[in-house]
Parts: sequence; C-alpha cells; structure tokens
Amino acid sequence: MDFKKLLNEKEFVFLDGAMGTMLQAAGLEAGENPELLNLTNPELIEDINFKYIEAGSDIFYCNTFGANRAKLENTGYGVSEVINAAVDIAHKAIARSSKRVYCALDVGPIGQLLEPNGTLSFDEAYDIFKEMIIAGKNADIIVIETMTDLLEAKAALLAAKENSDLPVIVTMTFEENLRTFTGCCIESMAMTLGGLGADAVGINCSLGPKELKPAVEKLCGCTNLPVVIKPNAGLPDPITNEYNVDPDEFAQLLREMIPLGIKVVGGCCGTSPEYIKEVIKAFEGEDCKAVEKKLPPMVCSANTAVTIDQPRIIGERINPTGKKRFKQALNEHDLDYICAQAAEQISAGAEILDVNVGLPGIDEKEMMVSAIKALQGVCSTPLQIDSSIPEVLDAALRVYNGKPIVNSVNGEEKSLNAILPLVKKYGAAVVGLCLDEKGIPKTVEGRVEIAEKICKRADEYGIPRSDICIDCLTLTCSAEQEAAMQTIEALRICKQKLGVRTVLGVSNISFGLPAREIVNRTFLTMALTNGLDLPIMNPNIESMTSAVRAYRLLANIDKNATEFIESYGTEPSSTPKPAQATGEVTLEYAMEHGLKGEAASITSNLLESRDAMEIVNEILIPQLDRTGVLFEQGKIFLPQLILTAGVAQSCFEVIKQHLAKNGQAGESRGTIVLCTVKGDIHDIGKNIVKVLLENYGYTVIDLGKDVDPMRVVEAAKQYDVKLVGLSALMTTTLKGMEETIKLLRQHHECKIMVGGAVLTPEYAEKIGADYYSKDAKQSCDIAREVFGR
Amino acid sequence: MSERVKIDVNEAIRYMGYRDKPSDVEMTLIKDCCELLESEITPRYVYRVFDIEPTADGVRLVGSSLVFKGKDIVDHLEGCEKCVLLCVTASARADEIIRLKETQDMAQGYMTDCLASAAVESICNDLEAELAKKLSGWYFTWRFSPGYGDFPLDIQPDIIEMLNAGKRAGVSCTESLLLVPRKSVTAVIGLSSKPIENQRRGCAICSMSDKCEFRKKGTHCGF
Repeated sequence: MDFKKLLNEKEFVFLDGAMGTMLQAAGLEAGENPELLNLTNPELIEDINFKYIEAGSDIFYCNTFGANRAKLENTGYGVSEVINAAVDIAHKAIARSSKRVYCALDVGPIGQLLEPNGTLSFDEAYDIFKEMIIAGKNADIIVIETMTDLLEAKAALLAAKENSDLPVIVTMTFEENLRTFTGCCIESMAMTLGGLGADAVGINCSLGPKELKPAVEKLCGCTNLPVVIKPNAGLPDPITNEYNVDPDEFAQLLREMIPLGIKVVGGCCGTSPEYIKEVIKAFEGEDCKAVEKKLPPMVCSANTAVTIDQPRIIGERINPTGKKRFKQALNEHDLDYICAQAAEQISAGAEILDVNVGLPGIDEKEMMVSAIKALQGVCSTPLQIDSSIPEVLDAALRVYNGKPIVNSVNGEEKSLNAILPLVKKYGAAVVGLCLDEKGIPKTVEGRVEIAEKICKRADEYGIPRSDICIDCLTLTCSAEQEAAMQTIEALRICKQKLGVRTVLGVSNISFGLPAREIVNRTFLTMALTNGLDLPIMNPNIESMTSAVRAYRLLANIDKNATEFIESYGTEPSSTPKPAQATGEVTLEYAMEHGLKGEAASITSNLLESRDAMEIVNEILIPQLDRTGVLFEQGKIFLPQLILTAGVAQSCFEVIKQHLAKNGQAGESRGTIVLCTVKGDIHDIGKNIVKVLLENYGYTVIDLGKDVDPMRVVEAAKQYDVKLVGLSALMTTTLKGMEETIKLLRQHHECKIMVGGAVLTPEYAEKIGADYYSKDAKQSCDIAREVFGR
Repeated sequence: MSERVKIDVNEAIRYMGYRDKPSDVEMTLIKDCCELLESEITPRYVYRVFDIEPTADGVRLVGSSLVFKGKDIVDHLEGCEKCVLLCVTASARADEIIRLKETQDMAQGYMTDCLASAAVESICNDLEAELAKKLSGWYFTWRFSPGYGDFPLDIQPDIIEMLNAGKRAGVSCTESLLLVPRKSVTAVIGLSSKPIENQRRGCAICSMSDKCEFRKKGTHCGF
C-alpha cells in the first residue's frame, strides 16, 4: 500500500481497537492462545476484523500479535500457517466491505527478554521476527507494537526492512514516568526507530489516554514522523478485569491530543468497535496539527539521549593503542576490564564513550560485538563505534541499542562507498575525517574541501548534516608547530559553513612535549572557543574535564552554573589523592578492612622498593590465605571474603600495570575457563569465583552466563585449559551443566569443577564432574590441586 | 502502592550470610548500595483475583485454562473460595545496577544482589498490605510460589501469560523457567471468607531444604 499517500489524503488515519478484548468477550479464556483461533474459529476473527472495518478503521490489525515461533512452540502449529490464515481472513473481511481499508501484519514482543536482561540473543530475535515478516507478506502494512525493549523493536524493524518492502509502523509501551519497563526513553525511541527507517512511530497500551498524554506530547516534540497513538481504555480493575474509560470519554480524551500533533489513532486493550466509532465522530472536522520541527543533533543509548547542542566529552580510554594492560585484556577476552574502564570514565564526566578494540591477532568483529553487548549491559552512555573495517561496523551497528556515532569515514572513495551506506541504513551519526587518498592536506582549504566532499556524499545518501561530525585532525605540535592553528581554523570554518558538528581528538597535540597536560588543556580550550562540539579525550584527567565544564559555564551554556557548582561546589577532592605515605596503614591492614584505594596506593609505593612478585608472594597471597581460613572457620562471612578479594584485585591491577609498563607479563599459574551454563542467568556466584581465582594468579577466561556447551568446548580447546569451572543456580539449569560436561568429555581432556546453590557433591559426581566446589574459596583449593601450585 | 520501595536492610544482611554485625566500613558500603537501589528501582506488580474450584488433580482458576497441580498448592488453597495470582518485580534497573556494581566492585555487587532480593520481599509485603485493604473481609493465606514443595516451576510461563505480566510489569520467563528481570517473583495467595487456620510455613515443605545454605549454618531463611 502507499502509506504516504494515505497520510496525505487523510487528515487523520484511524486504526482499530483491541483484538484480545473482543476475543475474551466472545469467550476466550485467559491463558488460551488467541492466534490459534485463525485456524480453529476463522469466522470469529473475520467477524471482529469486519466490525472494525464497519466502525471506520482505515487500517486494522490481523490476529498475529503473538504468532511467533517462541509462543507457538508447544501448540503444534507453525508460524506461517497461523499468519497466512490471519492475513487470508483479513482479506476476506476487506472483500466484504466496499470501503478502502488495509490490513496490518501485527508483530508483538516475543515474550522472552533479550540479552543482557534475558537470554535471547539479538540474532535469534531477528530470526523469529523475520519468519513472521516473510509469512505475512500479503498484508498491506507491518505494525510492530507493544515493545518495551528498544533492541527488540530494532530487531523487528530490521527484520521488516530487510525482508519486506511494506511500510512499517512501530509503537512502544511507556509508563507514566515516560520510560518503558526496560528504561527506554521517548527521545531514544523516536531517534533510533526513525533512523532505522520506520514510517511512523508511536505509543500503545499500558495506560489510558489521560495518563499517556505527557508521553504523547514528548514524542510529538521529538520526531517529524507521523505520531501514532493507541491507548488502553483506561486502567483494568484487577478484581473485575474491566477497564474504566467508556467510548465517549476515550474519544474526547484523544481529541484533546490533536493539538499535540498526533496523526494516526486507535485503541488498545479494553477498546472495541464502539470506541473507534466514537473517536472518528469526535475527530470529524478537526485538522491535524503536526508541524515540521527542527530537531537538535542527538545520539543515544536506549536509556539516555545526549543532545549535541553544546560540547560533550567523548571518553577515549577504551582503546588498546599504546596500552599494554588493555591489550592483555583483549587477548584474554576480559570484558569486565573494558566495562570497568567505561565506568571510570563515566564517573569522571564522559558523556559518550569511544569503543576501539582493534588489535592484530584478534577477531575484531567478534570482540566489538561482545564489547558493545557488555557495555550496554552496564552503562547507558551512548557509544562511538571506532573501527575502519566495514564488517566490524556493520555487526556492531546491528546489536547497538540506540543511535551511535560511527568513527569513522574519510574522503577516500573506498571509505565513502563502504561506510556511508551503513551510516544511513542504521541511522547513525558519523565522524568524517579530513583526509583522503593523498593523506592529510597541509592547508586549511584542503581540509575544508574534504569535509565538503564528505558532506556532499552524505547528502546523496540522505544523511542529515546534523549527524555529520567533522574531524579536522590534530597533528603533533612538536613535529608540525604551524599545524595546530590550521586545525583550529579548519574546524571553525567547517562548523560555520557546513552546518555540521565538529569532533577532535585532542591528546595527540602534545606528543613528544613536556607538560603535556597544559598543552592539551590549552588546545582543548582554543578548539572549544572555535566551535568544537565533541572533544575526544581522557576524562579521567581532571584538568581536561574541568576545562570543558568551565567552558560550558563561561559560554553561558551551563545556566546558573548548576553543573559547575554541582561538580566543584562542595568539596575540593574530586582529584585523585596523591599517593600517601603508608603511615601506620599496612597492606595487610588495608586488605583486612576493605580499604581499596589505600591498598592500591600502598602497593604502588611498595613497588618502588620491592620486587613485584615478592609483594605478591609475601604479602598478598598470605593475607588472602588467612582470610580464606577465617571464612572456612565461619569467623568471617562471604561479603568480607569478597571485600578482601576486591582489595587484592586493586593491588594486582597496580602490579599488572607496573609489569606491563616494564614489558613484563605477570606470571600465570594456569588458565581456567569459567562460565554459567546454558539457560542460567544467575552469574554472581561465578563472578565471585572469578575474582578469587584471579587473586591467586590464575588467568580466567570468563565466558559469561547462559553459555552454549559448544562454546565452552571451543574455549577449552582454544586456550588448551586443564580446568573448566561450571556454575548453575537453578534445578532447571542443571541439565545444561550435564550437557556441557558430556560434550567436554568428548572433545577435550581436562578437569571439571562445578558449583552452585542447588548442587550437591553426589549430584556433581553423578553428572560426571571431577570436583564439587562448595564455595569460592574451595574453587581456589581445587585449582591449586589441579595445577600443582 | 508507592513508586519507591523501602528495603529491609537487616533482612538483606541476613541474606548476605552475616551471622554478626557488619563492620563500619561494610555497613557504609551496604547503606550506599541500598540508597542507590531505593532511588533507582521502580517496583512493578500485577495481580488478578480468580474464583477457584477443585478438579481431580488440582485447583482450577475459573475463567481460565489454568489448573494448579500438586499436593502442596492444593493444601495451601484448602478452604479458599478465591485466590490472588500475583507477580512483582524490582525492575530491569535492579539487574542493571547489580551488573554495574559487579564490574566496579564485586563485594558491592554481592551486597546489591542481596539487597535487591530483600527489595522484592518488601514489594510483596507492600502489595499484600494494599490487597488487605482492597479485599477487606477476606482472610488471606501466606504467599505460595512455584518451586515451593511440589508446586511445579513449569507453571511459571502460564502465570506470566495469565497475568499479562510482560505487558503490564515487564516480566517474562526464559525457556529454563527463570524469571527476568531476575529480581521478580510470582505467588498465589488464597482468599477465604472464613478465618484460615494458621498454616505452618517453614523448611518442611521447602524443596531446597536438603541443600539450603541457611540450614547448613543452623539458621533458616525466614520463610
């Protein structure tokens, strides 16, 4: 169908009301599968479809909301037969009427949560939706609705876009706090789904029209797409299960939202053809008030939208370049380390995080996807995906939950042709580097010229100027002193002339100079004054972050100095404390009392006079042993054991960095693969074990939770490990453990230890494990036995 | 019910495995984690009241296709005319905060995990207090959840479906029958128009009693 034409011709487009409510009224019992009625009682469904047509709906939804593989699994029916039947019924209903109406393939949530909250992967979700989309090819339009997870909505929308030419409406479900259950905010939804090519976006279900008004107002303010609204008939009474808004009131409340700019309206749970009739009556003679708005440049995660209408700090620390410790983390697939880097930068003031995990010998695509999944599980700061390889970017853009920045494209034909289509397809923003086949132009004009070329090509793809961030490139001042001002000048011109955002990595400027911080800070301030929007910098260096905050204050962006006072008004010590003299506090004391910061600084002092391994073997390990004994004796408890382990971890981190700096690697006592088994998502026990094992000098390859048995086998072989640790917390997931053990036995010679709340030594033996570990402490004893040290 | 939850810190400290008081340093950490959870999580719940009727092998919820099977749930609902089916959650944000804390500091991650479990208990208690007001005149049994005694865990997806808990509280169930967000529970409360004999709660009917960490240490979980 030509959705645009329909939107142009009609002042308002009317959808239908509820299907479920009508089915319940017809006798469907709670808990019965409503989609099976397409096959068992098609007349009933056709009758409901027809009633909505008669009521005046322009588009009505086929009975396919839950017709997905996951929900139909135990019904004996397949996705395509259920959907085909629904679409056939819809066309029959249309044929009975003389009106011009359209039927929509209705795509609801899968019913299982995606990672990181649940266990369903993005790719699985995509496949499930793809199957529905293909089965529903004879519908006139696709509607993706009632989504609460932006990533799930994205999977469905991508599946629709890649497997169908039909127009797509996407509506999500918000609560009164203007967020979905998973925390997704309205700006992020509008921006992300709009960028991915939705033809209309909106809000459905959860609340009545009165309660949804603030959400609708917000949505109308942040999108230029047609806004869809499909509220419930008020709120259900838990005792009678009846909704509390009648058709007349419903229609009046919807009509009150016309001034906000709504365009497409209908009803969700509790509504019936009666409601739609009243709505159409109430809208008669009214004009649509939607207007084209100028939207600010923005990027987002699902939960946080960052407007680039002022300088925003991009943290640069997730990058292995020149960082031995980071390289080691990548080689060991240590995602926790990357997440910790993110958390540190965010608390220091980063508003966007650059993510670069490229390292020779690493599968960059796999690593990037893993890193993005891990990062979006723990932080809601928008990400900048940093890679020059199109395949890496494509994979990362798919699983990213929001609108990221792609870093980067440049003026080379090859780069433009490969990167810009991806940026357009996924609705991302993009960094454009002012360089091409001939390198970095020496002159200001040369760089502006490349920026213009990038903009022109982006225009052709339909990428808005506000999504282009031009990088005029920082050159090292000690090598080319005149270049600094050229960069600044080019930046100023690009910003003024091209209507783009500007981005600049500032730290390079001082390479090879003394007092780098002063040079960096001054350069940063100069660039900000000339229009820099996105400094890529180390936010952990306080003088850099404070320069940005002071700029926002002086440039009258930080109104009433709110942010500035919040950051610096109360206490002076957000700067890291200088390494204190040890005084009376010994390392043992700090470990015993959970003093992390002190322990780290004592360790770094000790490293000046003592050998690293000596500190490990004579202080850290003995203290850990003492703590372990106290724990076993029941004199201290689990939180205290973990606290000590955490303190030790911070000491080991100092030591690892010290060793890495001197080109040494810490000696590993052995490598262990650890995971929470397939089906299980309770991974805290496994994580505690990991910390303790690392304390004792073992290298832990942590595969995470809900891990497929084959992946455990692959990792065990890849790292040629002698010991694998498996954790399961629920009786229902012990199967996964048994299966993993069986598979390991077939493919790799190693010892296996198991643990978890529901396990017993007897059961461990029964499923073929070598060791049962009752707690984290015991897993260290087992490792010692296996590795002989 | 309030938009915020008040966590019973002492209860959480018990979950953490302490058998005496945490030190001052530990207490500070626990309080920080507690404040963070209390300010960030948005408790959600959904419930429905059903008439119930006995069947040959269990108890049927009238107007639905759901039948509760197992001796223990039947005993639990004995003498009741209705039941409340409920689902509460500390929200996806609780899971997120636990994950974040774990990457920053494992001890605080563990503390937060236990605090979030205590939060779910508090939310249940708040909901029950609200139900007591709404359903005055009815006598309540205590809360019985899938997995207790021989009440099978595999009823979990049906309960979620029946309550429309995905749509209305953001709770779903994995293939291995775990609820997500992780800090969520479902439960059944029996309603009777006549006073209910005070049923014994405790380890005797718990399916975990032979491997329970609390019992190994000579205490119990408070159930």
